[in-house]
Amino acid sequence: MSENYVVEMLNITKVFPGIVANDNITLQLRRGEIHALLGENGAGKSTLMSVLFGLYQPEQGEIHMDGKKVEIRDPNDANALHIGMVHQHFKLVECFTVLDNIILGVEPNRFGFLQKKEARKRVVELSEKYGLLVDPDALVEDITVGMQQRTEILKMLYRENEILIFDEPTAVLTPQEIHELMQIMKSLAAEGKSILFITHKLNEIMEVCDRCSVLRKGRYIGTVDIKGTTKEELSRMMVGRDVKFAVDKAPAQPGETVLKVSGLTVPSRVHHNNAVKNVSFQVRRGEIVCIAGIDGNGQTEFVYALSGLEKSSAGKIELCGKDVTHCSIRQRAETGMSHIPEDRHKHGLVLDFPLEDNLVLQRYMDPRFQKGGFIQREPIRAYAEEMIEKFDIRSGQGPVTPVRSMSGGNQQKAIIAREVDMNADLLVAVQPTRGLDVGAIEYIHSQIVEQRDLGKAVLLVSLELDEVMNLSDRILVMYEGEIVGELDPKTTTVEELGLYMAGAKRNAGGKEAAAS
Amino acid sequence: MTFLLQQTVIYTVPLILVALAGVFAERSGIINLALEGIMIIGAFVGAWFVRIMQEGGWSEDAAQWLLILALLVTAAAGALFSLLLSFSAVKMKADQTIGGTALNLLAPAIVLFLVNIVFQQNTLNLRYDAPSWFMLFQTDFGFERKAKLGLIGDLLLNKTYLTTYLGLLLYVVLAVILYKTRFGLRLRACGEHPQAADSVGINVYRMRYLGTSISGALAGIGGFIYALTTSNGAANGDVAGFGFLALAVMIFGNWKPLNIAVVGFLFGLLKCVSACSGTLDINGDGVFLLAQIGVSTYVYNMLPYVITLVVLAFTSKKSRAPKAEGIPYDKGQR
Amino acid sequence: MKKDKNLTLWNDGTKTVAASLLSILMGVIFGGVLLFVVALALKMPLGSAWEGFRIVLAGVFNTGRNYDAGSALTFGFNARLVGDMLFRATPLIMTGLSVALAYKTGLFNIGAPGQYLMGTAASIIVALSMDTGAVPAFLVWLLAFLAAIAAGALWGCIPGLFKAYLNVNEVITSIMTNWIAANLVTLLFDGSRFINNVDFGKTGYTLKTSTNGVATAKLGLDFGGGNANAGILIAILFAAAAYVVINKTTFGYELRACGSNKNAARYAGMNEKRNIVLSMAIAGGLSAAGAALYFLQGDVEFYWHTSMTLPATGFNGIPVALLASCSPIGCIFSGMFMAYLTISGSQLSTFTAYNEYIANIIIAVIVYLSAFTLFFKGLMDKKKTAPGRSGDAPAPAAETAGKGTKKP
Repeated sequence: MSENYVVEMLNITKVFPGIVANDNITLQLRRGEIHALLGENGAGKSTLMSVLFGLYQPEQGEIHMDGKKVEIRDPNDANALHIGMVHQHFKLVECFTVLDNIILGVEPNRFGFLQKKEARKRVVELSEKYGLLVDPDALVEDITVGMQQRTEILKMLYRENEILIFDEPTAVLTPQEIHELMQIMKSLAAEGKSILFITHKLNEIMEVCDRCSVLRKGRYIGTVDIKGTTKEELSRMMVGRDVKFAVDKAPAQPGETVLKVSGLTVPSRVHHNNAVKNVSFQVRRGEIVCIAGIDGNGQTEFVYALSGLEKSSAGKIELCGKDVTHCSIRQRAETGMSHIPEDRHKHGLVLDFPLEDNLVLQRYMDPRFQKGGFIQREPIRAYAEEMIEKFDIRSGQGPVTPVRSMSGGNQQKAIIAREVDMNADLLVAVQPTRGLDVGAIEYIHSQIVEQRDLGKAVLLVSLELDEVMNLSDRILVMYEGEIVGELDPKTTTVEELGLYMAGAKRNAGGKEAAAS
Repeated sequence: MTFLLQQTVIYTVPLILVALAGVFAERSGIINLALEGIMIIGAFVGAWFVRIMQEGGWSEDAAQWLLILALLVTAAAGALFSLLLSFSAVKMKADQTIGGTALNLLAPAIVLFLVNIVFQQNTLNLRYDAPSWFMLFQTDFGFERKAKLGLIGDLLLNKTYLTTYLGLLLYVVLAVILYKTRFGLRLRACGEHPQAADSVGINVYRMRYLGTSISGALAGIGGFIYALTTSNGAANGDVAGFGFLALAVMIFGNWKPLNIAVVGFLFGLLKCVSACSGTLDINGDGVFLLAQIGVSTYVYNMLPYVITLVVLAFTSKKSRAPKAEGIPYDKGQR
Repeated sequence: MKKDKNLTLWNDGTKTVAASLLSILMGVIFGGVLLFVVALALKMPLGSAWEGFRIVLAGVFNTGRNYDAGSALTFGFNARLVGDMLFRATPLIMTGLSVALAYKTGLFNIGAPGQYLMGTAASIIVALSMDTGAVPAFLVWLLAFLAAIAAGALWGCIPGLFKAYLNVNEVITSIMTNWIAANLVTLLFDGSRFINNVDFGKTGYTLKTSTNGVATAKLGLDFGGGNANAGILIAILFAAAAYVVINKTTFGYELRACGSNKNAARYAGMNEKRNIVLSMAIAGGLSAAGAALYFLQGDVEFYWHTSMTLPATGFNGIPVALLASCSPIGCIFSGMFMAYLTISGSQLSTFTAYNEYIANIIIAVIVYLSAFTLFFKGLMDKKKTAPGRSGDAPAPAAETAGKGTKKP
């Protein structure tokens, strides 16, 4: 075998019930290189890395290290082979100090008693050597996300790991932090560490990586040298030939204003800052306005405040000309807001209820469905049958199917059916296609466009660039809780949008910039 | 005053130990509502063991050795009984509240079932009086019967039990284990963030079994000490809610040993006042102050629970309950 | 297609019943084995263990021994014991309903003993303090019953309020309120005129409510002069009402939604805080009503010196509800079963060297095992939702939702 590969994953196949997450994938990592693993959501990147880290066992394929076959059954094996991983969701004990987190599992001890002195010395040395500035005695819950990530990196270095896996490390970071992380990764590689960098962000790959392997829908597409390639080529490899889900839609014909948000500010639950800062915009009838941005820039908090799930600390929300800032969730719904929630299992559905009960989740108190406080089963069933027919919801037992047993796509269709049928003036759709297959995505997009054409105002919140570009009539970019730009999808490019989302560019107030 | 403090210490020691029992289970991620039940088992096994030894002709001169032996036996019994909880919680991933409740129902039932069959009455008594066998007097420490030792001396060296010293020693050892050892660090990690512990190679299941077993051993010991020092070593399938009181101590003490010691002493004092408010002469001047205040003993009894409720109302946002307690850990879901 | 639908539903129901029956079976077998083990260990005749086991199985139908202590046990219809069983089942059904209703709303009502005690105190005090010369006894009975419900509802409210507005675990607060109730009730009766000082040598008991002429109507439920009365009918009515409220009303729909998914209920505009408080208040009222039905029977005394103990009937609401899978109608049957076991236990004390605590052991084992039943059912559900059956990629939402993590 080729002697210069430190890790080789050969012909890995990993099957989950009903889906082939990794289909015969081969990945070869050289010593001292930064190797990107590129692919869209659900392409199989995380699964492949979980196999390498011992979290999953592949059905087929072998892993070789320095040309020798190895078995990695659990994270301990991986650790013994000097493989370390920074997980997308950090594995840190929040009420422990940074130092305790670093030594956890490999604690220096004498007769079982912790000997932290030397450990602290080593951690300080390591953090100085690689520029990973963290206070070893600070509690993890008190430090920034960037520092928490550095703690994770120090955890790997403390264990003398040679192969470092970074799973989507930049998703939670500010641009400055991302820049610092890139520097750190370069210096680690210069020290001879081999890095696997999982991402779907092309700029980052171009900036730091030596080579890039691309996965698409569980399959291996190819590996290229970054020096000899372009973003466009990588993008093509990542998404395939038919790059976009084309959405058929006529130009928007905006009418009167339905939603007017002015100066909305929402405090954060996780840190002391505001999650949403002084946000103002309007949505009119017959247009789809999209809030774009990288995950965690205040979109979730904004939607919570808009729908009434969370309180805002300042600002005003007007819906159909009525001030609903202090109204309850139900009052907002009655005034004219329907809401496709971001997390369909957390907010959207009662999984243990049958489909029919989920379809009337907001409307069970409608005179049509209850009399004198008693649920009217027959009208509800008839209504459910009608919705199932109209929205093509596939369910094993019709209206009485437990929603838990339905597929993700059909669960989402049930929510869409419910929200669209509320016939509200404003439809708020948050990540409506998350985790769905192409067929379901197309269907949901067509439903959203149809609502627009029926004269509804649509506010779409999405992390998917394609969705943002194809579906919206206007784009608002949210960055660190602020609207940093307003763009027209017809005149802007994905690259430009990306710059706004990364905070590299802004046009305050949007319209002035468009005019200039 | 001396009497009040002596009595308070007698209540406080088992209270703190059982509260720490709760800490060790919950810090590993298992809610142990069964403290009461385990105490009942501990009291029963300990008392029965002592009785058997006494009937077997154990000499009163070696009473303290018998006590130590009995403590070891009750620890083992408590740990064994608590395995029922950890098995249900860890292996079966069952609801820990239901599991704990089941043990609380099971313990008195088993004890009363056996005691009634074996002794034909509702209570298992020691063969010989517990205070006469096990209580330590100042003469045992080489002081004259009439010697005045002062408040501290009286407190430490007169009318006390070996279990008081052992309990305090155990308290220190447990606090050190929790904060200064590798085991303690790993245990706490499992109760806070088991996924993180797992990702660095710690066997979460094993730690939870261990944490619960330590908890069971401590609660068993606590049960026996309680029976020995407050009810003359008798076991009747009941510890009068002492296990739940310990739970309140643990919550009020925010799962931290130091706070638990303070709260345990406070609640022990209240318990003591309620037990003897009518006959208590605090200053030794023949004035029964508490009796004169005329507050019912039940009010003192109630106070710890009321205080804990009030504290919960004000500190619910700052609670330091282990984050992952009560949530079954599933290795498959990461 | 239609047939198919019914089949799966039937299967699910059967599974639930089968799981409960399995725990009962294992509990009873455990009890039986214990009898034999004890017999062997203590060198008792094995015949007595066999007699004991038969009583455990059919205690209510025990008709005693034909001649003397040496002769064989006989079995047949024993009206008095059946009546006793119905009477004992009454409060158990009610506390079972209490736990079941709270569970539907996602709350574990371990506070039933405290609510039961508050109901006991309220009903006895009202029943004994109103002059039945001036007010008709029936009205006093009704007022006592309502007072109990009010007291229990109030007591249930406390954990509900803590849960809804401060997010404090209801189990913790319920434990506190239980012991506060135990002491409060003792305090209320201590030195009061409701204590029975008439019968010499009886301390710690209240007067029977019949001393004031207050007693639950028999309504022809005589059963050989036993304890049975209309209370069991009231309990069954309550179960039926609970069934209707939970399954047929918008209020019940809201409660169930809150119980299954609090976040979704909130998202849908339901007032989940109010529902939590209401649910706990109703649960408290049900427990307390059970206490009233027991003590207003007229002929039972309440051991008021209860500061050190909590009533078993309160805790036993948990097994009643668990065995019934929290179905109100099921609670009628599981309550009867628990009463059946209790009667068997007391028969065991009367007729064998064993005692009534074997029934408590069996109950405890059943509770322990019923926690596993939930697990087994959960396992079945999980298998059903294997991701991507229709070609969908496994939804990330599914992964986060399943874990119940508390990340904001």
